[in-house]
Amino acid sequence: MYTWIWRHLPGPTAVKLLETLVLFLAVVALLFFVVFPWLEPYLPFDRVSVNQ
Amino acid sequence: MTDEPADAGVPDDDDPPPGPNGRRHAAPRSSDGTWRKVVRGVGQTLITLGVVVLLFVVYEVYVTDLFGGQKQAAATSELDEQWSEHASTGGTAVATVVETAQATAVVDASKQAVDPKSRKKNYDTSLGQGFAKIYVPAFGADYVFTIIEGTDPDDLYAGPGHYADTQYPGEQGNFSVAGHRVSKGSPFNDLGLLASCDALVIETQDDWFVYRVLPMADEVATWSATAHPHCSGVEPQSGQYAQVTGRTIVDPSDYAVVLPVPGVASTEVPDKAERLITLTTCHPQFSDAERMIIHGILVKSYAKAPGFLPPELKETS
Repeated sequence: MYTWIWRHLPGPTAVKLLETLVLFLAVVALLFFVVFPWLEPYLPFDRVSVNQ
Repeated sequence: MTDEPADAGVPDDDDPPPGPNGRRHAAPRSSDGTWRKVVRGVGQTLITLGVVVLLFVVYEVYVTDLFGGQKQAAATSELDEQWSEHASTGGTAVATVVETAQATAVVDASKQAVDPKSRKKNYDTSLGQGFAKIYVPAFGADYVFTIIEGTDPDDLYAGPGHYADTQYPGEQGNFSVAGHRVSKGSPFNDLGLLASCDALVIETQDDWFVYRVLPMADEVATWSATAHPHCSGVEPQSGQYAQVTGRTIVDPSDYAVVLPVPGVASTEVPDKAERLITLTTCHPQFSDAERMIIHGILVKSYAKAPGFLPPELKETS
């Protein structure tokens, strides 16, 4: 997968590196702002109240 | 790196003998190449999943702190605005207090002390909104959080949340608050460090309520109120309160700990009920298998006045 992406990024190596960084940050942002907030309530980490 | 794709994708027609270290001269590709691709794919997937899990830890421990901090700041400024509006429109309690303060010109703690029986809750709360502040001097002079009404995940994201069907600060019964131990501002991160008699100070619209942590289970037998300068008013409990101690670890289903008489499964507030505070958070840290419960008892209350801060806030030992 990663080699496929690397091959399809345009430009010389330096530009490719920059593009890789941007792609990585985009994925991290997607995880932080969309995926993790959605996922969190289903995980048994931080429930703090007692319930009936 | 650049010649890797060609290697991986294109099978060689001629089958050169494997070279000592050159990929170009690797073994026959027809079936090996497929295997190599599969293994590489699995490896990359596992590494990717590992990175995602690490990112989740970063998110949970650091990023939610940022979000939670923003929500807490918004709730606090909203509450401050509400209080200053109430003070300027002259809520009766505040008005009389202001007069007293001006008459004496000195804001003396003993003059501000009031009987909690005479204090009535004169503010409304709505789910998701702040209505009180909690100070724990033992956690540092700057430890203050606005308490939000409700214990839904959204409420708790903004700050410690009040169990909406439990009592309010200063009232007979049990003022119960849940808070995150890890992530989202971690207001209750240090509950495990509280000692008996540590002050839990609650500020409401017109009042200060000073609660103190009850004796721990292992201190009850040898309790002496004089052992600690701040312990006046804190005694091991008896009667139906006998099992109520400073800190307990319970199951998540043990809702009775937040009820008027902790441990007694009834929502009714008895005639001679104590005025308690209960804090709940997850336990052990980074898990939610159990809950840590802190119980405290009301020892003092003060009317609010401009320039007056309860002396207990200075107990930052």
